[in-house]
Formats: sequence, structure tokens, C-alpha cells
Amino acid sequence: MNPRASIWLKTVYARTWVRTKSIYGEPLWVAVNVGFPFFTSLALSLLYSSAGLKSGIGFAFLGGVMVSFWGNVLWSMASQFNWDKQQGLFELYITSPAPISAILIGMSLGGILGTAPSAITLAIVGWILFAPPANPLWPLVAVTFALTLASLYAMGMALSSLYLVYGREADSVNEALHEPVSFLSGVYFPASLAFPAVLQAIALVIPLAVGMDALQRTLFSLNSTGVADLTLVYRDILLLAIMGITLLFAASKALKILEEKGRRAGTIAVRLR
Amino acid sequence: MSYVRSLVASIRVGWSRDFGWTNPILGFSLKTIAPIASTMTALTILYIGFKNGASIASAQFPFLLGYIVIGATLYAHISAYSWVPTLAIAEGKWTFVFPQVYVSTRSSPPYLAGRCLASFFSSTVTSMASLVVAVVISLYLFGVAIPLVITPLSLFLFGIALVVNIFASMGLGFLLGAYAIFASKFEWALPTYVSGLLMVFSEALFPVTSLPHPFSDIGNVLPFTEFIRASRAVLLQGSVGSYVYYLGLSFIGGIMLLVLGLLAFKYAERRARRLGVLDRKVV
Amino acid sequence: MSFRDAKPTVEVEDLHREFKGKEGTVLALDGVDLKVREGEVFGVLGPNGAGKTTMIRILSTLLLPSSGSARVMGWDVAKRPEKVRPLISTASGAERAGYDYITARGNLWFFSQLYGLSSKLAHERINEFSEMLGLTDYLDRKFYTLSTGYRQRVTVVRAFINDPKVVFLDEPTIGLDVMTALKIREFLLKQAKESGRTILLATHNMAEVDAICNRVGIIDKGKILACDTPMALKRSLGAPALVMEMTPPPDSASLEPLSKVDGVKGFTSSIDEERGVGRVQVVVDSDESAQGAIDFARKSGMNLISNWRQQTTLEEVFVALVGRGFREREHESPS
Repeated sequence: MNPRASIWLKTVYARTWVRTKSIYGEPLWVAVNVGFPFFTSLALSLLYSSAGLKSGIGFAFLGGVMVSFWGNVLWSMASQFNWDKQQGLFELYITSPAPISAILIGMSLGGILGTAPSAITLAIVGWILFAPPANPLWPLVAVTFALTLASLYAMGMALSSLYLVYGREADSVNEALHEPVSFLSGVYFPASLAFPAVLQAIALVIPLAVGMDALQRTLFSLNSTGVADLTLVYRDILLLAIMGITLLFAASKALKILEEKGRRAGTIAVRLR
Repeated sequence: MSYVRSLVASIRVGWSRDFGWTNPILGFSLKTIAPIASTMTALTILYIGFKNGASIASAQFPFLLGYIVIGATLYAHISAYSWVPTLAIAEGKWTFVFPQVYVSTRSSPPYLAGRCLASFFSSTVTSMASLVVAVVISLYLFGVAIPLVITPLSLFLFGIALVVNIFASMGLGFLLGAYAIFASKFEWALPTYVSGLLMVFSEALFPVTSLPHPFSDIGNVLPFTEFIRASRAVLLQGSVGSYVYYLGLSFIGGIMLLVLGLLAFKYAERRARRLGVLDRKVV
Repeated sequence: MSFRDAKPTVEVEDLHREFKGKEGTVLALDGVDLKVREGEVFGVLGPNGAGKTTMIRILSTLLLPSSGSARVMGWDVAKRPEKVRPLISTASGAERAGYDYITARGNLWFFSQLYGLSSKLAHERINEFSEMLGLTDYLDRKFYTLSTGYRQRVTVVRAFINDPKVVFLDEPTIGLDVMTALKIREFLLKQAKESGRTILLATHNMAEVDAICNRVGIIDKGKILACDTPMALKRSLGAPALVMEMTPPPDSASLEPLSKVDGVKGFTSSIDEERGVGRVQVVVDSDESAQGAIDFARKSGMNLISNWRQQTTLEEVFVALVGRGFREREHESPS
């Protein structure tokens, strides 16, 4: 095998292994990661109930599941390099022949595998407690879910490149991004039922918004006839595919430019001691 | 005197820690965005329920929006500063600041209280800003004006309620801090769970009476629930009598929680000292 | 052992690096020239803020120079970092870089994969180097459970696992106990002698330089002041240093005129708190200068309780070059 390809694959595997071993090596992680999304979903489910829309409970728990991944993207993807910088790990990545993109893809795969147990637990608990009405189109659910995750994590890779130069400031931006993106994406509610067309169109630049729309349609059939509006689902699938590829490409380019900038400004190895 | 000096210095350190990396305007703006978004999520769900369900009358809807906007912003306010002691301890162990504080004259309580108060000031500003912005956004998004009672008296009474709630939030902060002293990992896990529980039980988004018994009883005894009820009484209903009643309960509950928190924290410190974990780094 | 015939592995020419910040511009490297050859252990010795770490960062491709050139194994570090990186590794005493929930072995294996090693070869090397550093019994412990000394041993193993041609070490034994530091130095010497690796060691620990370095470059304020074997540098001073002890310890103001005594190249002072005695080490170029320094002390009213001549140390070489010791230099330095 080509040496560069070999290093790339080994790096992806190794970084995935580190991420999943860290999580599964401490089983408490699953319980810890379920906590806040569960209570948020529970509170919003009760809000849907008190608002007279019990059929909306499914949106609350779907939102909890996706927020688990979104949170992982923001805090364990984008922020991970900040932590790695502080521990002196990041400079080891830079000075090795391993491409940073391989590290990021390994982190993404590890993040997905590591978040999956808590996300699945949340979905099961929600189902047991509330049995929200749903009529899923499973093949489309699977496709949209996979594409949503791919685009989300590609976005995480693009965000992580900020840490090459912006260090702690990007951490605060991260904190500021979490909730507004969740809101604009309609994580806990169908945005198409609440937002004006202009706002929906603006939100379509966010992979999470597109993915949530597709998942909500394929899981809960938003149309009053009970049949999902598949035209919009196919639109969402196409958008997700384009976004995923574009973000991967953009992340790769951004990483190269920002690595160069980081080397010039001397910020790659800056860390708290 | 050295206690006050320690407290004031800790407030300044807490403020610098939160805003030292940028100018205060940018710092505040970034901190305001999250509570606005979480409030708007709750308001939007109510709106969808109003439009697609059958249980909310048109006349009732603006009032319910007000109910949620107050509850959601105050919940965010409480969450923001009640977990600061945990953060200060975990961070302090990592940077070796906490052991140094512990062995100082007045030890850790004024330090943690000061850090908590610094966060109280900043979260008060950000929560109030998010309340105002959420009201404005609701007007444009839902076409509904939220009927808040904004008079000098209501604002003054609301300010008092915010101050009275410090006891409860700080008490909770010290309780969570008691766990953080021992924790070598997942120190942020307990505050996260407690924050989630508060969302359900503090009447932030819906009346606790809608919960089945005995869960509704839990919500009724929390000082945070009474604080939010007092705030709604004065800002939404304009009822000073109800306000005084709820605020009294919040004050009593807050004092009890603060005493409990301090006792738990003191016990935790003694035990941690015996076990030798006060300066054990968190992972 | 002469390295003159060995090929150069690290070449630095007129290297400059400045940092622009809110407080102004800091010139970290001010025209450094250096050549290190294959199999050499080269020490870069200087006080804090001298530019050692900046130079290591440039050579390890973490940082770009402002001007000048630096090549590792013939490849330009600024223009062709992708060619340099497979051939080098770096380790710092300030890092304890590892994933806390993974074992030491798991961490080492992970880093080996970044260099494309097969798992079999990686584990062979992990076992071999761990044996040399007394780390074997700790390999299967989670990283966060290891003490500082063992984490640093893991760091050192990590630096050699990819069989690098050039290793950059930045204060690798700082803060470590004597035994651990000794073990690491023995390991480094072995690696250089038996495997022909070039080791560039940035440090302000003179004992370390004396113990393992073939040559040393003394750096201060971004410039290399002298570069030779430790023995040659010490011999260059000529006369052995003079050590005077006085009580009570003299203050720095009263010692200032000492540097004006004929033949005195510089001095450094310290206080022995337990004995209540001040000690002044004076670098002199002759026995007459040493006597001149003693006469100065007596005429200044200092109560001289003893004086003797001692073998020159590298700090005295530094003092002779700069006029002040490491401690005094670090107090002066704005960085």
C-alpha cells in the first residue's frame, strides 16, 4: 500500500480507537452523557403536553438524540484541539507525518461511536415513557441520519480549524453557538410549522437544520394526510450530501491555511501550563 | 475584614476569568445568545402547540408566552451561576489555584462565594438582556406582545427577588461543590443533572402541578420554584401580595439551602483533607 | 569522538524570529548559526527566555522563522515540513501529553500509528524502550494514574518510537527526581551512540550538558555566544574561577564595582541561608586578577571568611560571555 495512504488509514483507526476506548473504558460516560439531553427532552415533552400537542413529544426526544451528537461535535470535536493544545498533544500531531484530516476523521468516527450508546438510551427511554406517535420510513430515516451526522461532523472539522489560531476565544464562541444553532435548526420542534419562509431559508445553510427537517418528516410525517412530503426530504438529502462534501473540502483547505497561519504567528504550541 | 477582602478579590478574579479574554461588550453578547435561544425554543414549542393543538385559548396565549419567557430566562440565570463553585474547584485543581486558596487565611468559602457572585452579576445582565430580546423577537415572530408589567415598582421588587435568590443558588453551588471536592473525574456531571432536574421541577416551563404526585411536591418545596413564582407574580400578574408570599418562601428555603450547602461543603473539605484529595488533579 | 566528518543533520543559517504582541516586538532569535552532525548530542544552553524553545519549535516545524533558513536532514523546515516530519520527533519537559483514560501502552501505540508503524513493530519498540527506562511494569496503567516521573518516561519513549533521525528535546528532565533524570540521560546517550541519532537538547541544566553533550551552544538573547565541546569552553576561560565566602552576605550594589576589577570577566552571587553566608563566584583570566578580586572584597569592608579556586563550570563560561549568571539574567530579562 502507498505509505501516505497507510499512515492516513492507521491514523484514522488509531484516533477512533483512542476516542472510543476513552468513553467505553469509563462506562459512567454513557450515564453522564444521557443526563442533560434526557431532562431537556423530558421538560420539553411536558411543555408539549401542557400546550395540548402530545404528538409533539416525539420531536422533543428526537431533538435530545440529535443534541447529543451536536454537543459531541461542538465540545469533543471543535473544542478537542483546544484541550490537545493545552496538554501539548496538538503540537505532536503537527510535527508528525500524519495528516490532520485523518486525526479529525478518527475523532469524528470515535465521537459517533462514543455518543451512540447515550443517544440510543435516550431514544429508548423516551419511547418507553411516552410512546410518541410515529410512522417512520426506515430506509429514508437511515439515509438522512447518516448524511446528517456526516455533515455535522464535517462542520465540526471546519470549526476545529479555528482552534489552530483562535485558541480560547473560539471556546467561548462554541458556547455561544450551541443553543442558537439548536434553535434555528428546529432541533426540538418542526421549524416549518413555526418559522417564516425567510428564516427557514436562512437556516438551510446549517447542516443540522436540514437534517432535522428530513428526520422529522421521515419519522413523524408532518403532512396532515400522514404521508411524508418526500419532495422536501429528497431536497434535504441532496443538500446534506452537498454540504458534507463542501464542508469536508472547506475544512481541509481551512486547516492548511490556518496551520500555516498558526506556524507564522506562533500559536500552535501555546498552552496553559 | 480579611473575609470581605477575600470575597471582593474573588469577585474580581471571577469577573476577569469570564471576561479577561475579550472586551466586556463582546463577552456579554456571547453570553446572552444562549439564554435567548433556549428561551425562544420553549416559546416556539408553545406557539406550535397554540397553532396546532386545541387547549390554548387566543386570549390566554400572550400570558402563557410571558409565563415561559420569565421562567426560561430565570432558569438560565440560576443555572449559570449555581454551578460556578464546581467550575472553580475543578479548574482550581487543574491549575493548582484551589489548594493555594484552601490553605489561605479564610480558606475556600469566600473564594467560592466571590466567584459565584461575580457570575451572578454577569448572568443577571445577560438573563435580563435575553428576556428583553426574547420579548422583542416574539413580537416579530409570533405577532404577539407579551404583557409584562414594567413599572419602577415591579422592577424594584424583581431586583429584590433576584438578590434573595442568591441564597438558594449559592447554597446549591456549595452542595455541588462538596461533590466536586472529591471528584477526580466527571465533576461537571452532577451539576448537569441537577440543572436538568431544575428545568423540570422549578416550574420554569410549566406548572409543577402538571407533574404526577409525588413529583409535584418536590417542585413545590424548591426555593427556586418560589423565586420564579414571585417573579411572575410581580412581572406578569402585578400582584404584590402573591409576590411577598412567594418571596418569603423563597427566602426561607434559600437560607435553609445555604446552611445545608455550607455544612455539606465544610464536611466535604474535612473529609477530603483526611483522604488527601484536596489537591488531587481532576482528569 | 569527532563528528567533523559526519554529515550535518541540522543546519541553521542566520535564523531570526520575532513575535509581535501588545507589549511590542520581542526578538526571540537574532541571527543564529548552527550545524549539528549525525550521531551528535548537541546541547543548547541558556537561561529562560534565551530563545532555546523558539529554536526547537522552528526546527520541529511548529513555527516559521521570520528570516534565515533552517534545514533538517537537508530539507527546509519552512518550505518542506512534510519531508521533515517523518524524520524527526520532539519531546518537552513541560508536556505530559497523553490521553488520560488510555493506558501508557495504548498512548504509545497511538502515536506510533501517526508515523505509520505496524502494530507489531510498535509494540516491539514500546517493550524495548520501556525496558531501558524501567517503564515496563507501568505500561498497562491508565495515563492519569502515572506519577510525573513515569509520564515523562512515557514521553521520552514516545519520542523514539518512530525511529527518528533527529530528536528535539526541550528540557526533558525538568522537575524530575535524580534517578529518573539519570535513567533518561543514560537512555539518550545510548540512543545517540548505538543508533546514530542526532539529539538536540535545549536545557538550562549544566550538569546535564556536562554529562551527555558532545558539544554545546550557549545562547542568550537570541544569539549563540559560543559553540564547542564543554571541555574546550571551560578551558577557554584560562584560569580557574575564584570563590569567595563572606558574612554577612553582601548586597548586589556593593558587589557591582567587582566587575571593574582588572581581569574580572564577570561574577555570580548566591546566599547560603542556613549558614548565613554569601558566596560570590568570580570568573577571572589569571591568578593576579583573582588576587585583585580578593583585595577588592577586603578593601570594601566585606568580611571574607574563606576563598578558594575551583574548576570552571559552564555557568562561569556563560558569566564570562555575558557578565552575569543565569539567575541574574532571568531577573533582567523582560520575557
